[in-house]
Amino acid sequence: MAAFASLDAAIRRLADAEPGLHEESRLEASHARELDRFLAGVERRAFRIAQITLRNTDDAHDVVQGAMLRLVQHYAQKAPDEWRPLFFKILYNGIRDQQRRRGVRARLFGFLPGSGRGEDESAVDPLEQVPDHGPGPSDQVANAEAMRELERGLRTLPPRQLEAFSLRCLEGLDVAATAAAMGCSEGSVKTHYFRALQALRAQLAEAWT
Amino acid sequence: MSQDRNESFEQLERRARAAFDASVDGLDAHTRSRLGQARQRAMSIAVGRRQPARRWLGWISAGALAASVLAGALLLRGPTVDESAHQVSAQGEAGAQESLEAFAASEDLELAAEADPDFYALVDLAALSDAGMGQT
Repeated sequence: MAAFASLDAAIRRLADAEPGLHEESRLEASHARELDRFLAGVERRAFRIAQITLRNTDDAHDVVQGAMLRLVQHYAQKAPDEWRPLFFKILYNGIRDQQRRRGVRARLFGFLPGSGRGEDESAVDPLEQVPDHGPGPSDQVANAEAMRELERGLRTLPPRQLEAFSLRCLEGLDVAATAAAMGCSEGSVKTHYFRALQALRAQLAEAWT
Repeated sequence: MSQDRNESFEQLERRARAAFDASVDGLDAHTRSRLGQARQRAMSIAVGRRQPARRWLGWISAGALAASVLAGALLLRGPTVDESAHQVSAQGEAGAQESLEAFAASEDLELAAEADPDFYALVDLAALSDAGMGQT
């Protein structure tokens, strides 16, 4: 019994001697949990944005995974409220890199039959498009149709306008966070966003009325 | 006019957001699973990466400390027995080489090399004749 008491005292002394160590590990664990929650909340939206922009499911997965890895490797220690703009900045850098690579590939192998063709609607597996849960069938059909129109409109936008619209409208970032994610001034964000709205309204007015 | 424009923009934003949210919610199970796996991979790298990095940092520090101690010891210590013997033998070799060079460079050796036996016989004869003349 006395041996247990002395052992307990020794453990307590060790814990007192290195309080920083215990504090640090506790903070890291909670930080990691918070980061995991953040990624879980953003991964699907990021994937859809990448998919709409790149028009290829595998490329979209690659870009999202790359953005997650880069965020946890380089910016995990940042404050949680900085993660969102950083993540989307990384995501869009990845999207641009992917588009550049695709352009180079198309130039190099464009003469081959079937090369340079992105994954279009006809190549999508219809079973993968069936939602597992959600609103009723009629709402699903209406939403799916609205989304198809929106995607069509988004694909006609210049890259910076598409970026501003995705971040501001679809992701709900404010102007400052969007500017941080896009690496430009808030004024530029407002300009790009306004032009995107004008272009989309002109295109979707008929379909969405 | 401006108010109408703002309203139409707001309506567009609302519809776009709703359509996008619905498409996100409607992602199939396979895609959701792939995304979850990607996140777990990223998190495992993030969590697992830190420990080895610290271990390596510790090893690098210990290695640098050991190297500096070794370098200091090598600089501060005196010559060992082997090194002394090596130095002595080196000095001996150098001395012998100098003697050989001096010997080779000496005039005696040149004379010895160029010695003409007839010359010495003539000298001897002259000495003998001088002695005989003195005796007579």
